[in-house]
Amino acid sequence: VTTLASALALLVALVVAGVLFGRRAHLLYRIVRLGKPTDRAGDAGRRARTEATVVLGQRKLLQRVVPGLVHALVFWGFVVLLPTILMALLGAVDEDWTLPWLGHQGWYLLLVDVFCVLVLVGVIAAFGIRKIQRPARFEGSHLREADLILGLIAVIVTTLLLWHASQIALGIAEWPAGWSPLSNAIATAMGDGAWLETGERVFVWLHVLTILSFLVYLPYSKHLHIGTAGINVWFGRTRSRGRLEPLDFEVEDEAALRLGSGTLVDMTWKQMLDTMSCTECGRCQDVCPAWATGKDLSPKLLIMGLRDRLFAEGPAVLDGREPTALVPAAVTDEVVWDCVTCGACVHECPVSIEHVDHIVDLRRHLVMAESRFPAEAGTMLRDVGRSSNPWGKPQSERAAWADGLGVRVLEPGDPAPEVLYWVGCAASFDERARASARATAKLLLHAGLDVGILGPRESCTGDPARRMGDEFTFQEQARRNVATLGGAGVTRIVTSCPHCFNTLGSEYTDFGGSYEVVHHTELLAELLADGRLEAPEGTDPITYHDSCYLARHNDVVAAPRAIVSRIGRPLEMARHGKRTFCCGAGGAHMWMEERGSAINEERAREAAATGAETLAVACPFCTMMLDDGVRQTGSGLRVADVAVLLAEAVVPASGD
Amino acid sequence: MTVLVYLEHADGAVDEPSLQAVTLARSLARAASVQAVSACGDSTQAPADGLGGHGVDVLHAAMHDAFATYAPRAIAETIAELAGRLGAAAVIGPGTERGNEVLAHVAALLDLPLAANCVSASGAEVTRIRWGGSLLEEARVDASPLLLTVQPHALAAQVGAQGTATVESFTPSLSEAALALRVVERAAAATGGVSLADAKVVVSGGRGAGSAEGFGPIEELAGLLDAAVGCSRAVTMAGWRPHTDQVGQTGTKIAPEIYIACGISGATQHMAGCKGAKRILAINADRDAPILQSADYAVIGDMHDVVPAISAALRAARP
Repeated sequence: VTTLASALALLVALVVAGVLFGRRAHLLYRIVRLGKPTDRAGDAGRRARTEATVVLGQRKLLQRVVPGLVHALVFWGFVVLLPTILMALLGAVDEDWTLPWLGHQGWYLLLVDVFCVLVLVGVIAAFGIRKIQRPARFEGSHLREADLILGLIAVIVTTLLLWHASQIALGIAEWPAGWSPLSNAIATAMGDGAWLETGERVFVWLHVLTILSFLVYLPYSKHLHIGTAGINVWFGRTRSRGRLEPLDFEVEDEAALRLGSGTLVDMTWKQMLDTMSCTECGRCQDVCPAWATGKDLSPKLLIMGLRDRLFAEGPAVLDGREPTALVPAAVTDEVVWDCVTCGACVHECPVSIEHVDHIVDLRRHLVMAESRFPAEAGTMLRDVGRSSNPWGKPQSERAAWADGLGVRVLEPGDPAPEVLYWVGCAASFDERARASARATAKLLLHAGLDVGILGPRESCTGDPARRMGDEFTFQEQARRNVATLGGAGVTRIVTSCPHCFNTLGSEYTDFGGSYEVVHHTELLAELLADGRLEAPEGTDPITYHDSCYLARHNDVVAAPRAIVSRIGRPLEMARHGKRTFCCGAGGAHMWMEERGSAINEERAREAAATGAETLAVACPFCTMMLDDGVRQTGSGLRVADVAVLLAEAVVPASGD
Repeated sequence: MTVLVYLEHADGAVDEPSLQAVTLARSLARAASVQAVSACGDSTQAPADGLGGHGVDVLHAAMHDAFATYAPRAIAETIAELAGRLGAAAVIGPGTERGNEVLAHVAALLDLPLAANCVSASGAEVTRIRWGGSLLEEARVDASPLLLTVQPHALAAQVGAQGTATVESFTPSLSEAALALRVVERAAAATGGVSLADAKVVVSGGRGAGSAEGFGPIEELAGLLDAAVGCSRAVTMAGWRPHTDQVGQTGTKIAPEIYIACGISGATQHMAGCKGAKRILAINADRDAPILQSADYAVIGDMHDVVPAISAALRAARP
């Protein structure tokens, strides 16, 4: 076979593969271009750091050590072995050709040998995980596709090794022989038979053709993530994870008004790219509280459902066909409403898919364009708008919890306090949650802070409405509260409720409200550290439950633990910190009926299993949910806010 | 133009929401013809009395055995057939649960949009109620015939028109599928007929009841007081009672003269459902239970002792 004939054959193979790959890639690109705009520009430094840690460093994958390492071996192998593709293409044309310089570097050839072995180890381990361990997270994934891909990787690496070995055996390549221990050993085993000449050609062509087949198969399979994940991670969110993208109701042209996602063309391009980045690993499904308690929602199946719809309908839509509704054909109503917006899936995802944003956009369309939502939540939506709190309580009773405590209720025109205590609806009206408000106020006054509350002028931040998809009601509440806070000259705010904390601190900036917002656990920990509050060391076993909107969405993990470890002996639950497990109230589920088994009971059992006597919380909704969960499961744990526990330690005489 | 109105009727009299639908039809039809259709098991049921005064020109009494009970699909096929025959420009029904169901079937049969719960209509422009009354939507419906239901009690049924309605009987040609959907059996709801939302007295149990069987004494007391039985969310979550019994923000909102809450701690979401109660009597073993903040009367004690004692006292006091 002449060099010219080989070159022609390779050219044909490259063109065929290139066309097949290019056509599909172009289609996918055009589909993504159908997406609505979302601002993902800027923050290049931060994006580069995320790319380095999450993609190159495999940080998210390594949250699970064994499967993380397995993937990292294959991924790093892929990176290291990339130049060998060029070497093989050259070698396929002429057995004497290789890359200039790099093809003759001993250290690189050693790396190739080492990574060939590591990738094979990775592939075998991956098969082991899939065939023997069979983790539940793969339920619903395309398993045979994964087998095929792993098989292709094994063939690619094996033929690479065999090709190198046969070249060494023939003595044709200028491999610095001492640098390739494995290839050398295989070469020795091959001997010097007459078949070697043909064998060398077969190995290199098999290698090249397998790579090209893999390339063509990629964009048709879930393994597309090789091409998309890096891009998706780059364009991931850079602002607070708890912040939702606001909708713009003030658009000039009514046709441009986007009310969430009704059909696929309402999705943003990032959301489309999300679906194309999913490789069905199921880490999201594994941590999802809805899935764990037998509900229909799996974040993985949600993204797969949207992707299937995108691929099925996208080409026709590009040809001008009208897209059809996403719910319930691609995603059922139940799935949309099962979500507690805890963000565990988003935190876990190795490729920066933003599941909660998908859910909220689907809800926005159902609520605002179709009035279709769990009927029992309707009262809450109305009460937030009409009564300024989600339970329809009279606003005049908002400060009733503070009677006799000496907290300053700010009247219009009063001087701004050092710290405004934003109590929140739950701690203002709910009997169980009020204990936390009273404890917090007492401690702040005890430490000598100038604290004020807005009383009847405080209004729901709109968080439950926003998480339900009622963006309109949320924005009305936001504008109203921003005006009130501005009028009161407030700059520093302490909140009891992590949802208020998230909304005031991370979301109101979009509506002109910028404040320094701290959670009461942060402020109390600070006062404790400064010695402005003094509490004796305690020894009672306490387990602390992280609120999703505090820990995962806003990184508040250390402050509540500092308090707990002062007043008791901390015991951690398996799921804690940023990998905490929701209490079941998020995403407006406080006002919805729960299907399947109860999330709060699951969490209450986990807390009881630590052997603690007290379950410390830092959120009024967690307080209600877990107190219910503890009663329902009968474990006898005491559920109390960190502030209540601290107040008992600091001022035992007035324990609330 | 001809407008066809679907009438719901019982015991020979047309229901008020249907008469309100006739009024809206009259305003839509101007001087032209308002015709009505009612589904009758036999000819004696045609509710013709006084219809002329409301402005109905012709009442088509649709006769079929299927109409002896409620048969939404069969009624819908009848309406669709008649509307086609009359060349009706609009078909209007009452926005009751059944009226909306029947018209939804008509919409599906004709593959046309339905504007439910309208409060006014002018040509193809309608105003309708959304979001449980917090929003009025102005919509334009491009369809022929125009399909509407009228929000009950949003407008008054008008009388005073001259004339009488002629009655024509009509035998629909129903498909087999239409006959498949029919009432097979009627069973009284577990509450024994007293509806939770309207009850003058409600006796509820919470987690303190301990089990489904723990509701025995509560049902007994409710029976003695002619009261409805309710429960808290914890109870429905535990599966002791159906969700229809749940009093709360996410369940039924009640407004009784007296609400007797047994073994209910009084979570905010529960209290939001019973804030319409004039008086609350709480029976609870825990003197720190939040419900005591809202209760007018309270008995601190185990509901398993207190509730049977009240029942016994009631029995003793009665002759």
